[in-house]
Amino acid sequence: MLGFIIQRVLQAFVVMLVISALVFTGVYAVGNPIDVLISPDATQLIREQTIRAYGLDQPLWKQYLDFLGRLVRGDFGRSFVYNMPVLDLIFSRLPATLELTLAAVLGATALGVPLGMYAGYRPESPLAKAIMAFSILGFSVPTFWIGLVLIFTFAVSLGWLPAGNRGDTAALFGIQWSFLTWNGLMHLFLPALNLSLFKFALMVRLARAGTREVMLTDTVKFARAAGLSEGTILLRHVLRLIAIPIVTVFGLEFGSTLAFAVVTETIFSWPGVGKLIIDSISTLDRPVMVAYLMLVAFFFIMINLSVDVAYAALDPRLRTRRAA
Amino acid sequence: MSPVLLDVNGLTTRFATRAGSLNAVEDVSFTVAEGEIVGLVGESGSGKSVTGFSILGLIDPPGRIVAGSVKLNGRELVGLSHAALRSMRGREIAMVFQDPSATLNPVLTIETQMRLAIAAHESLGDAAARARCIEVLGAVGIPDAARRIEAYPHQFSGGMRQRVAIAIALLNRPKLIICDEPTTALDVSIQAQILTEMKSLAARLGTAMIWISHDLATVSSVASRILVMYAGRLIEAGPIAEVLRQPRHPYTRGLLGSLPGIARPGQDLVQIPGAMPSLIDLPQGCAFQPRCGFADAQCATMPALSAEGARSFRCHHPLAAETAP
Repeated sequence: MLGFIIQRVLQAFVVMLVISALVFTGVYAVGNPIDVLISPDATQLIREQTIRAYGLDQPLWKQYLDFLGRLVRGDFGRSFVYNMPVLDLIFSRLPATLELTLAAVLGATALGVPLGMYAGYRPESPLAKAIMAFSILGFSVPTFWIGLVLIFTFAVSLGWLPAGNRGDTAALFGIQWSFLTWNGLMHLFLPALNLSLFKFALMVRLARAGTREVMLTDTVKFARAAGLSEGTILLRHVLRLIAIPIVTVFGLEFGSTLAFAVVTETIFSWPGVGKLIIDSISTLDRPVMVAYLMLVAFFFIMINLSVDVAYAALDPRLRTRRAA
Repeated sequence: MSPVLLDVNGLTTRFATRAGSLNAVEDVSFTVAEGEIVGLVGESGSGKSVTGFSILGLIDPPGRIVAGSVKLNGRELVGLSHAALRSMRGREIAMVFQDPSATLNPVLTIETQMRLAIAAHESLGDAAARARCIEVLGAVGIPDAARRIEAYPHQFSGGMRQRVAIAIALLNRPKLIICDEPTTALDVSIQAQILTEMKSLAARLGTAMIWISHDLATVSSVASRILVMYAGRLIEAGPIAEVLRQPRHPYTRGLLGSLPGIARPGQDLVQIPGAMPSLIDLPQGCAFQPRCGFADAQCATMPALSAEGARSFRCHHPLAAETAP
């Protein structure tokens, strides 16, 4: 197991290096930040000074090597727009996105898996059919539209919940979180609900398909013949047998939502990284874009690694194969 | 003769399918005495497994028991509530299946699976439950059971895995075990071992067994009495030695003729012509009639089960007691 993790970490280094090259060239191709940074009526002298100050007069390969050199020292550079270290900027926004994403993915799983298992256990029941109909809705209706409907219904018409922002926050481990205060929780609810609908539908479908399949196997028949109750069979046997695809999708959804919750963050003015990256693309804030995309790649690598470790914990057959 | 443990009478199990309803088991009656091993033989689709599941009350919709009774020690099982059936299963009647790599849960340890089976019926303390598991594993011939109990199913060989499944069936000391082809998926050498061990285990514990198989040779080595099923009905029953020596139903003789051990070397095995009819579209009268060399106009009516001493058969033209094959 330890050997496996070391091997994966080495792989991760190579992947990160390739990503950094791709991202750096890609962002270079997007546009010249100077046109945005300097007012059009600046003199030629100021223009050249600024270009030199940012190192933009160097050829691409030289700029990339300088970037790598700073990276080794843990320096991602400074934002052109905010004029502060990029990492500080991203990490000041990350907790907001993190709590939003976690609330959405955990909520969707905690609700979607049991309901999906029920729908797979009693596929003909009216409740199962209602769950499946709802899940089709979750799949097919676009997120931004649901977001607007949620705001209109719960914030504008009923006035039960706030329409945007994080609300009050409280500190934990020196970071500000919304979910620690009642007011913040109220602010978190609608955007998290908005983000979770699609994931909920996904989890329902996965759990239903898995349960239907497992219920027909001899494992379940044998457990029934031994006198196990249906509840025990579902909780102890079926849930364990359908866990692997669920964990996989959980990881993927967690990663992609963390990186790209842009639409929901924009609609609910949630001050997370999704909004930050959209803003920095429109202002051509290169260091922010590069650092952010590399961070996203890093998150995905870490999430995939955790998912693989979880596989081994969930399925003993994978453990021995790796040890052999 | 030991007292009757299980009394199945007129059992009929019907499945409603899209193509129409069919009786997978029809009017099946037999008894199992305490400690007795009864063989239940038939081709695939003859209704032998459905009979086993019907006894346990494990028929899933669209199937259901539409007639007959199943009495265990005089207590009627047909029509019992789900909860009463659940508490009966495993504790009074247990079942072992064909393929142990499909029945055991691959992601739970043997101990977890055994403890779940115990917990379904009684609450034992940690130590007592573990001790019971180890004891039963030892009884079915798993060496070093105290250590192996923490292993997962894939860490056992096929034969050992089936022993684990048998141990789970034995955990709550049932009076009857329904064995649904438990040796079919195993190597031939392991088959013989498990057969012998289960036979002596049953004798030692006084457990009765219904041994379901399509393989006459296997059944003849464990069972004292044999039941032959065809197209959902019982067509012949009797003490195993007599039935093998002198089958009365032409189908039973056909089955015997197709055994490699009985045919002469170098000779082709005798085949029963044709195939078993679909249960949805059974011929009028005797279901074996289209494949039978003795069939005539009389066979268009269903023959009754006629008894002769310990034996019974369902045929208008039973093979004479003298015409042994």
